[in-house]
Amino acid sequence: MRNKRRIRYLLVALAVSHLVVVFAGFIAPCDAKQQDRSLPYAPPTRMHFVGASGFHFRPFVFASLADADGYREDRTREYPVHFFVKGSSYAVFGMIKSDVHLFGVDAPARFMLLGADAFGRDEFSRLLWGGQISLAAGLLATLITLTTAAVIGTVSGFHGGWVDEALMGVSELFLSLPWLYFLLGVRAFLPLHVSPTGTFFLLIGVIGLIGWARPARLVRGVVLSARNRNYVSAARGFGASDLYLLRTHILPATFSVLLTQAAMLVPLYVAAEATLSFFGLGVSEPVPSWGNMLAALQHYSVLVSYDWLLAPAAALVVTSVMYGMLADALDS
Amino acid sequence: MKYLARRAIRAFALLIAVSVLCFLFTEMAPGSFFDEMRLNPQISPETISNLRSRYGLDQPLVERYGHWLLAVAHGDLGYSIAYNAPVAPLLWTRALNTLLLTTTAMVLTWLIGVPLGVWTATWRGKWLDRIVETGNSLLISIPEIVIALGLLAWAVRSRAVPIGGMISLSHDDLSGWGKLRDVLQHLLLPTAILVLAGVSIVVRHVRASVGEVLDAPFVRAGRGLGIGQVRLLFRHVLPVAASPGITLFGFSIASLLSGSLLVEVTTGWPGLGPLLLEATFARDLYLVIGGIIFSAVFLLAGNFIADLLLMASDPRIRTGGVNAE
Amino acid sequence: MNKDPANSRSPLLRVCELSKSYRRRGSPWQRGHVIEAASHVTFEIFAGETLALVGMSGSGKSTVARCVSRLERPDAGEIWLNQTDIAQLESSDLAPSRQRCQMVFQDAATSINPRFTAGEVIEEPMLIQQEGSQRERRQRAQGLMSEVGLSPDSADRLAMEFSGGQQQRLAIARALALKPSVLILDEALSGLDLSTEAQIANLLLDLQSAHALAYLLISHDLALVARVSDTIAVMANGKIVEQGPTTQVIGHPTAPETRALLGATESARVGLAAAMGMTP
Repeated sequence: MRNKRRIRYLLVALAVSHLVVVFAGFIAPCDAKQQDRSLPYAPPTRMHFVGASGFHFRPFVFASLADADGYREDRTREYPVHFFVKGSSYAVFGMIKSDVHLFGVDAPARFMLLGADAFGRDEFSRLLWGGQISLAAGLLATLITLTTAAVIGTVSGFHGGWVDEALMGVSELFLSLPWLYFLLGVRAFLPLHVSPTGTFFLLIGVIGLIGWARPARLVRGVVLSARNRNYVSAARGFGASDLYLLRTHILPATFSVLLTQAAMLVPLYVAAEATLSFFGLGVSEPVPSWGNMLAALQHYSVLVSYDWLLAPAAALVVTSVMYGMLADALDS
Repeated sequence: MKYLARRAIRAFALLIAVSVLCFLFTEMAPGSFFDEMRLNPQISPETISNLRSRYGLDQPLVERYGHWLLAVAHGDLGYSIAYNAPVAPLLWTRALNTLLLTTTAMVLTWLIGVPLGVWTATWRGKWLDRIVETGNSLLISIPEIVIALGLLAWAVRSRAVPIGGMISLSHDDLSGWGKLRDVLQHLLLPTAILVLAGVSIVVRHVRASVGEVLDAPFVRAGRGLGIGQVRLLFRHVLPVAASPGITLFGFSIASLLSGSLLVEVTTGWPGLGPLLLEATFARDLYLVIGGIIFSAVFLLAGNFIADLLLMASDPRIRTGGVNAE
Repeated sequence: MNKDPANSRSPLLRVCELSKSYRRRGSPWQRGHVIEAASHVTFEIFAGETLALVGMSGSGKSTVARCVSRLERPDAGEIWLNQTDIAQLESSDLAPSRQRCQMVFQDAATSINPRFTAGEVIEEPMLIQQEGSQRERRQRAQGLMSEVGLSPDSADRLAMEFSGGQQQRLAIARALALKPSVLILDEALSGLDLSTEAQIANLLLDLQSAHALAYLLISHDLALVARVSDTIAVMANGKIVEQGPTTQVIGHPTAPETRALLGATESARVGLAAAMGMTP
């Protein structure tokens, strides 16, 4: 079916982009926190293929020199781009340590694919490292939401009666809360200065626990209709226990709903993290996230002059569109 | 009538539940809230002891809730430490600004979205429809913050519309009409962001529900009977397709106070959003909770209005038929 | 219709004064009221015999079926299944009786989990009751498949790939997996086209004589009932209004509801009786 193929392609594309982010340390030439105060807002480094000795396949760059009105290239020395260079050390998933980077140039030149931010930090590297935070926030929060929704929806739909009414009443309460304001409220009475890791987990906890109401109702609907199916009655007639019924007949029916919801929630939650970090309520400096990288653009002068700093916005769009297409494809 | 009464009671119960939640929030604040106030030299000890006794901090929980609820019902939402003023008036002015923005945006969104949705629904199957559908899906996917930053960037570069705030510096010197024009000009950018973010959802919903009805047997029967396209659309298709749209409309109303936080903060529109954001940083609890109560009331009222509209439009609900709750 | 004349043994299924009512939930605006779905229902079925429960929609037939199979618990009465009254047993005590009485539902498509393979469908009851090893279950399932007229090689095909009639055969095979003595056929032949219906009916009759099963047939289709059942019980408003051998009930109906079911005109009844080879 054409749709199934589409889903497969999308899953592959998503997997690849997530892998890129996972291996941020390897692919990014610089460390996310490495500053260079002599290069604030440096524009993207240009690659050249034609140098003093003619054309070569290996590209090279020039060092950037501050100028009266911006930057210019220092053409006195060519810095060839090397691959698999040794650079700053990093750890994949915090476990596998390495210091090999996909590409890089010798000091003091810097190969900044997407330019530098106010502190001279490589935007491209920060984009990748920030992606780890933003995507992880989205995925983990989605996990929390869907687990809660699955449990509550199943208990509600399977048990029925007063349990169902009580749980659905609570869900309606959650649906009535203006979630962003509620988020602010929770954030407000928690201490302001929590460590970046602390804020991160706080963030996903709060985002995850607010959004369970709608998916829970969907799960409940599926469970209700499955519970009334004749094959469940038949299984009961064979002496099946409730646990068996849940495990074999009812829960598998919820998987497709949960999957579609996941595809819808992940981009939503990634955007939520970005929004909160943009406001300064999320992940804080110096840890990069797509949200707090965009916070620099709150100054109109920055917004106008330095286009490359919009990279996180592009990353957000790409992520959202890919997940959105997946959600649409899963829905049909 | 019974349906209405049931929904009203439900809304009321939810309101109580939200209020309990908010009340518990205030109670759970770590460290005494009043300790922080005490540290503030601007607030006299008499004010503090006054407030303490007014909020009856030494009474049992249920009584405190009762007092709090009574106070809230009378419009007393507490005291803001950051602004050194009672919360309710602060919220009101800002809320009105927000409403100005969101109502304008909502009207425009629906004015554009509904006709567009209906129109494109009638194109189904043609290649133009595919383009619109893809474009719309794309627009829906783009996060609001990206739309906001994008439009902001364009606005700053092109200097086409004034940015930031609701009024310009010279506002007070302007004539009556001038003042109105000034506000409207400042309204353009944030409204544009909200409309762009919201219209795609409206179009998608309207398109889907109208499209669904267009395929229904009774419509095909009508066509077979020779009823003209336009008459068919307006007298037969739209009334039926309206129900899911009305539910969506209810959601729109419900989020009138709470849906514009991002836009207000990025464009500097002086609404509820920036106020509450500052309050969060200042840990000004009463202000934040007041904001939550305000917007929660709006949300519930919005849902209730949606129920009313739905009841008025869908006879199946009135007669307690299959689709009634 | 295979009735062993020497069958003076006790009935396989005996129902006495079965009653069940549902309470329609009240609200502050509307008083709840009680619907008596089944009241004082009494009948018995012997081995190799078929009792048909007929009546208009809402007469209580399905309620009786669900109570007898203990998908619901009756309010009052006795249900004797092989010397045990299962009417008021707790679910935990029902296990041994479960295998004695099984139900075949109306719409095969909804009574089978679409994700299961044919083999898994039939093996499920044995799996739940933990009978035999996996290989033994598989072998028995294949045996049952051939018994109901399906090819054992298709055991690994998805259940939903089968046609409606074949799915019903699967459901019957599944019902037989635990070697029950009583089968409840709740409109099991409705919704099938006439030729399939005839095939399944013949299959059921063959199985009945092969395994000496007792059938409780719930149906609204009198022509079918006339062909396959030994006894008919006519239900209306939750009560049995007429009960007796098929020939008698069809040939000489006494209750007004029975007459109504048989058709308004006398000629229809005469025609039906004639088709059964009886003199009016």
